[in-house]
Amino acid sequence: MGAWVSGLQWSLQSLGRHPLRTVLSVAGIAISAAMLLDMVMLSGGIDRSFSEMLLAKGYQIRISPRGTLPFDTEATLGGAGGLVGTLRRDSAIESVAPILGTSLYGRINDSLVTLFGYGIQPEAQALYQLERGTDLTPDDSVGILLSGPASALLHADVGDTVNLVGRLDPQIAHAALMRRLVVRGMVRWIYDHREQPSVGTVLPVMQSLAQQPASDRVSLLLVKVRDDRAAPTVAARLKQELPRLQVYSVADLVSVFKRRLVYFRQLSYILGTMSLIVTVLLITTLLTITVNERLGEIATLRAIGISRTTVVRQVLFEGLALTLIGTVLGVLLGLGTARYLDGILTSFPGLPAAFSFFVPRAESLTTAGLVLLITGSLAGLYPAWLAARAPIAPILRAEAT
Amino acid sequence: MGSTYWHSAWLTGVLLALWSVSLLGQVPQIAVERPLAQELGLEVGDTIRLGSVADSAQQAAVVAAIYEPKPDPAEIAKRERHIRMHLPDLGAALGYPDRVDRFGLTLQPGVSPASAAAVLNRAAFGYRSYSSRSIAAESSQTFLVVSRFHRAIAVITIVASAVFLLCIMLLKVEERRLDAAVMRFVGVRRRTIFGAVLLEAAVVAAFGSVVGTGLAYLAGLATNAYYRRFFDTGLTFSLITTDIVLFSVALSLALGLIAGGLAAWRLVHTPPLVLWGRG
Amino acid sequence: MTAVLIGRDLRKDYAVYGQLVHALRGASLEVSSGEYVAVAGPSGSGKSTLLQLIGGIDVPTSGTVEIMGTRLDTLSDSQLTRLRLTRLGFVFQRFHLLPVLTAQENVELPMAEAGVPRQERKARAQELLAYVGLEHRAAHRATQLSGGEMQRVAIARALANRPALLLADEPTGELDAGTGEGILELFRRLNHDGTTLVVVTHDENLAAEAGRAIHMRDGRICD
Repeated sequence: MGAWVSGLQWSLQSLGRHPLRTVLSVAGIAISAAMLLDMVMLSGGIDRSFSEMLLAKGYQIRISPRGTLPFDTEATLGGAGGLVGTLRRDSAIESVAPILGTSLYGRINDSLVTLFGYGIQPEAQALYQLERGTDLTPDDSVGILLSGPASALLHADVGDTVNLVGRLDPQIAHAALMRRLVVRGMVRWIYDHREQPSVGTVLPVMQSLAQQPASDRVSLLLVKVRDDRAAPTVAARLKQELPRLQVYSVADLVSVFKRRLVYFRQLSYILGTMSLIVTVLLITTLLTITVNERLGEIATLRAIGISRTTVVRQVLFEGLALTLIGTVLGVLLGLGTARYLDGILTSFPGLPAAFSFFVPRAESLTTAGLVLLITGSLAGLYPAWLAARAPIAPILRAEAT
Repeated sequence: MGSTYWHSAWLTGVLLALWSVSLLGQVPQIAVERPLAQELGLEVGDTIRLGSVADSAQQAAVVAAIYEPKPDPAEIAKRERHIRMHLPDLGAALGYPDRVDRFGLTLQPGVSPASAAAVLNRAAFGYRSYSSRSIAAESSQTFLVVSRFHRAIAVITIVASAVFLLCIMLLKVEERRLDAAVMRFVGVRRRTIFGAVLLEAAVVAAFGSVVGTGLAYLAGLATNAYYRRFFDTGLTFSLITTDIVLFSVALSLALGLIAGGLAAWRLVHTPPLVLWGRG
Repeated sequence: MTAVLIGRDLRKDYAVYGQLVHALRGASLEVSSGEYVAVAGPSGSGKSTLLQLIGGIDVPTSGTVEIMGTRLDTLSDSQLTRLRLTRLGFVFQRFHLLPVLTAQENVELPMAEAGVPRQERKARAQELLAYVGLEHRAAHRATQLSGGEMQRVAIARALANRPALLLADEPTGELDAGTGEGILELFRRLNHDGTTLVVVTHDENLAAEAGRAIHMRDGRICD
């Protein structure tokens, strides 16, 4: 241990001989380390973030119309009441949350604003978190929940009344249905994108307001399995039992999502690899030039009895020292650049606000750090080899002239 | 009797003809996109069944054509499959004979899309009109985000390259400090040494730019080949334009000259004895 | 007296820019314990080459070297290195101290390599620096020392592991006359205290200081 500590100390002192060169090298390594960290976060962050979002309320399974993704189309499931009852009688299932999604309108004076409506069962909901006010009750047919953007659009707050309009008929320029509803609470809709003006009512109210006749129809069922570990098994069983519906486990949805964002995963591998290559090149070049400059010193050390192993170790330590400092700075820099890049990518239209591409986790930091440390250390192998094979006598002869 | 026979025969013939026509008319024709046809092994003349819900694929349809889908960047990652039908056939299949998602309008010459959209929006209840350009802009938001992301990555890469370049230039110049010291000892002016180093940096930067451009071109070819195969599309993913080449070359030359200039400045402003190792 | 060093018919050829140089043409040498031997001669006479061969730094084209009865040609590279560390001490013309280390750390370096415990090597380093008159400069970096001080530290470093033989190659070559005289005084004291010395020099005055002077010319020992 003593040899390691003193060796590292000696390396740091050697690096301090040329402060500008060392600072620039460390800066280069730090930027590469930051890029590598960001790419590690990106490669793992997409599916992690998506999984966490899907499991925000603990519902592990989703059932949607055959061939569709949840809320990807306007297709709906018929016979929802019977289906929900059947699923609730399944001993492995703890809860079933039916949801109807539809577009509808809010009337403000003489104009209409477009909204997105969720019909839910408050006693089994998986879509929102209450932020202010009160939640709906199961039989509340005049209550409504608003998102922040919906509240701004409707100029309404908790306690206010809003007018919702459904089934516009352009032939007679008339809405088939209008409902006056009281705002019970402000909520954050988990799967909404940033500016989405969403409102929520109990399911029968939204079914009546839906653009298409939607009695006993829902867009999606969320299923919570009692035993989390049994969720994949239950999902597989439901796929067998409900062949005309689309059953997704969280893993299935993550797989679909990953396929849609495959480009970013591939880009993260390419850029991460390039970062490592740059780090290796920088350290190898710096140490090679340093070794060449200090050949006289190395020859002297060998002449006075310092072993090749010690010389090699010193060169590797210098590479390790550079990498260590660069990695620490790179991690800090990488966290900052990750926020910036995440801010860009999360502005994708339609992306849920809760989703992140770059998720800093201890695991990613550790992975990136370890990969860098190992790679940076190995980058010193070539210059260490040069130092080890330096011929003592010819170098001393050359030094003397 | 004779007239009755002919009357019956004529009636039978008409009925037969009507039945044949109606039979033919009841089977809609569809056009299937090539990837879907390949997946399902369909050929022109095959019959398939359509339905709006999974348990009611009752409507027979004949494949009349197989078409190559127009490459759409917004669709490539989704792996959705499309067919084309005559509007009445689709309406009938869905049970909504008189519904559409949208209209496309061609305007009279001289009418601006923006003004036409404004007029329609005032007049039409329950509709919203947009110019094609505004829809294109809106639906391009995704790619604008991707462009911004690429630009951010490019900036980071350029900063890293600049630091790397400066470091390497400093190292290479320091390697020759003894030569520089000797030159100063024998009376060579700072200006001359500075110019020599700068010229060398410029040559290296120019050479590097040419090599880099070639590498970028090859990388672009590889990128397009890979993603075209991956997504089964004819889209272009990497496009190297003259502007991009000129910008990249100019930037790399500038960075090379700046790095070389800084390294050279440092070299010529270090006292010769210090360069020699005796200062 | 015991023979510390025996060199027999040593020859060394090496290539310089494609030309073969016959640096040594059959030199034989024997040094006994406690001797102070100077190897003198003009530049290019082969003195430094001879020193490098007897120090195990270089390998002779032919001939043998024995240090304390051990033939160097029978040793592997790591064994040779170990021998240089524990049995020999080197002093070079250009000092070759590690500039990032202090005087004390430079002296401790060979002892650390030999596995000497920390406290022991610190004490020995301080003792050696006091011996060469630099105990007050122990904490100074090598770059902060004068030429003469650096050479003294190099001598202290060479003595760190109590070598049987101290080899010095032009130890006063980079020093002015006054400082060089101080180094010669130190060598006299070392030899008086029992250290066996072989010193290569082109300076005839230094050669005269030694107990025995060997003169070389054109790769051969003249006397």
